[in-house]
Amino acid sequence: MKRPASRRGTRMGRADLVDESLSAVLARPWRAALTALGTVLGIATLVVTIGIAATAGDRIVSRFDRLTATAVTVVAADQGLPAGPGEDPLIGWDAADRLGRLNGVAAAVALAEIPPGTAPPVRANAVQDPSSVSARTLGVVAAGTGLPAAVHGRIVAGRFYDAGNVARRDRVAVLGEEAARLLGISRPEDAPAVFVGGEPFTVVGILGDLRREQALAAAVIVPPTAGADRLGIGPVRRVVVDTELGAAALVARQAPLALNPGHTAEMRVIAPPDLQRARGAVEADVDGMFLVLGLLCLVVGAVGIANVTLVGVMQRIGEIGLRRALGASRRHIAGQFLVESAVLGLLGGVVGAAVGVVTVVGVCVARDWTPVLDLALVLAAPAAGVAVGLLAGAYPAWRAARMEPLEALRAA
Amino acid sequence: MNRAAARPLVEFEGVERVFEADPPVHALRAVTLRIDEGEHVAVTGPSGSGKSTLLGLLGLLDRPTAGAYRFGGVETTALAERDRAALRAGSLGFVFQAFHLLPYRTVEENVMLAEVYRPRGTAAPPRRTRKARAAQALDRVGLGHRAGFRPDRLSGGERQRVAIARALLGEPALLLCDEPTGNLDGDNTAVVLDVLDELHADGLTLLVITHDEAVAARAARRIRIADGRVVGARTAQGATEGAVEGAVTGADEGREPAS
Ligand SMILES: Nc1ncnc2c1ncn2[C@@H]1O[C@H](COP(=O)(O)OP(=O)(O)OP(=O)(O)O)[C@@H](O)[C@H]1O
Ligand SMILES: [Mg+2]
Repeated sequence: MKRPASRRGTRMGRADLVDESLSAVLARPWRAALTALGTVLGIATLVVTIGIAATAGDRIVSRFDRLTATAVTVVAADQGLPAGPGEDPLIGWDAADRLGRLNGVAAAVALAEIPPGTAPPVRANAVQDPSSVSARTLGVVAAGTGLPAAVHGRIVAGRFYDAGNVARRDRVAVLGEEAARLLGISRPEDAPAVFVGGEPFTVVGILGDLRREQALAAAVIVPPTAGADRLGIGPVRRVVVDTELGAAALVARQAPLALNPGHTAEMRVIAPPDLQRARGAVEADVDGMFLVLGLLCLVVGAVGIANVTLVGVMQRIGEIGLRRALGASRRHIAGQFLVESAVLGLLGGVVGAAVGVVTVVGVCVARDWTPVLDLALVLAAPAAGVAVGLLAGAYPAWRAARMEPLEALRAA
Repeated sequence: MNRAAARPLVEFEGVERVFEADPPVHALRAVTLRIDEGEHVAVTGPSGSGKSTLLGLLGLLDRPTAGAYRFGGVETTALAERDRAALRAGSLGFVFQAFHLLPYRTVEENVMLAEVYRPRGTAAPPRRTRKARAAQALDRVGLGHRAGFRPDRLSGGERQRVAIARALLGEPALLLCDEPTGNLDGDNTAVVLDVLDELHADGLTLLVITHDEAVAARAARRIRIADGRVVGARTAQGATEGAVEGAVTGADEGREPAS
């Protein structure tokens, strides 16, 4: 004869709990699949929504990134001429140095050009040859040494002139890619010369792949000193600034002060729309709508699980009575039904996450986007499914646990 | 068995069960009853007389509204539900008319269910040998060859023997059967009763509720209930006992004598 032991109640091993719950779920695989469907849809919608929003947000950032989002241009009013005799021009050639001290400035370059229409013809040789087509009307621009960095250009041949060239007032020039092609110059290492309005300049390099100020591709670019000496170019008309990502708004506010604190009103600043806000707006748009949809699906999924589990409890009253007769406590009964609904939720979460990931990747492949998938999101989805299952199972489990064993056995 | 030295397993003292209804149902009235270890008792009575109510109380599936119930010397009416569950798991076995097998589990798994809930503090038999013990229990009821079947592929008699095997796995001190042959035809009834007789012969204390005279005749002692009262409890020393035991012996002819 066994006596009640000192430690009270009955125990159910964890392995048994999982076993009993799993076999009950797997006993009706189609019902389980259909029950989990709502959760699948909900989780999938959420994963797709958040995944697409992140991808789209990333797209928007990358489109703005290197071009618009980091470009600030300061334009001098009235052609940048001094306000009166004896005064300095509005913006000096030291603009790049002044702006370089600001936070968030990656590169800056001051530019001045010969006004269109008055530009002298540019030739590749000194000989006046009427049959030659080498005389071109090209842009002629004076620029600081920071130009390639500020316009995201690439030196395709030779080099860009340096601070030494500027200081020595050397008559050197860098050709835009298109200008070089038109002039038939491709090898700066041979030190070819170009004649701008008859003034010779030694070509030291060719600048290509311009991402900003693309008009410079068809220009002859000369140092400010030689440009002023020989061609009368000046004063500075514009300063092109390349900023760090997200710093454009700040730089736009501070640049005029840094350039000429006394005359900020005479400068016009061209800055991109706030990147963070643009991105946030897009994500909020996409998210808001679909998040609500996804959460709705989850609620529907939870109600589905709750409903089916409750029906299951009612159909299995006899089983509940039997388990109680075998020694199950109320807690064991509740635990089993909770784990059963959690398993259904987990199933929905895993399948939903998979469907969601496949959808995001599919959309990205179709649109030729790079999918941005947060691993945490993919891992959180099954956990969310389990949470939904537990929530949905709470009431049925409570109902099952509340039953009196004898009544349960009699009802079956 | 020496009845004078027998130890009481079940002691009812003035047990009442009133179901709250309008009007209240007095399903059991002042029942005083004692069942000793090793007894084989049949409970008979008309439908609605309170037999199943009695079994529910005996099996700790229900609580009396008045009276005392000692099981193995332990007063159970004051026990917490979890302690009653522990007693059910460790000391009580049940066999019901409706079998109560889980349709989605195999015969073997149904039997193994009896070891899922074990009383705390007792050395739980290891899980990995559970299957072997279930096979043993199935062998005991002559169903070793049906271990992998689903219950719906078994005959009624086979299903009831599975239920008995399940009850055996819990190694009960008392096996309670409510109309164990109620759903069975004559042949199946005989097989199930033979199994129960064997278990009793092996020392199991047995209480069988039945309508069937032939079933009741196998018991050494019969308790009659009518309208919630015990009306014809024949004590173990009663004059008619010999006749009842004679019937048991008669039924056991051709097999090894019990005890
Ligand atoms: N939960 C309940 N609520 C109200 N009345 C009940 C309840 N359970 C049982 N009864 C009543 O108690 C009485 C005894 O019921 P019980 O099930 O014990 O009868 P029984 O002897 O097993 O009958 P049968 O031979 O038909 O199985 C019946 O009149 C029944 O209607
Ligand atoms: Mg009954």
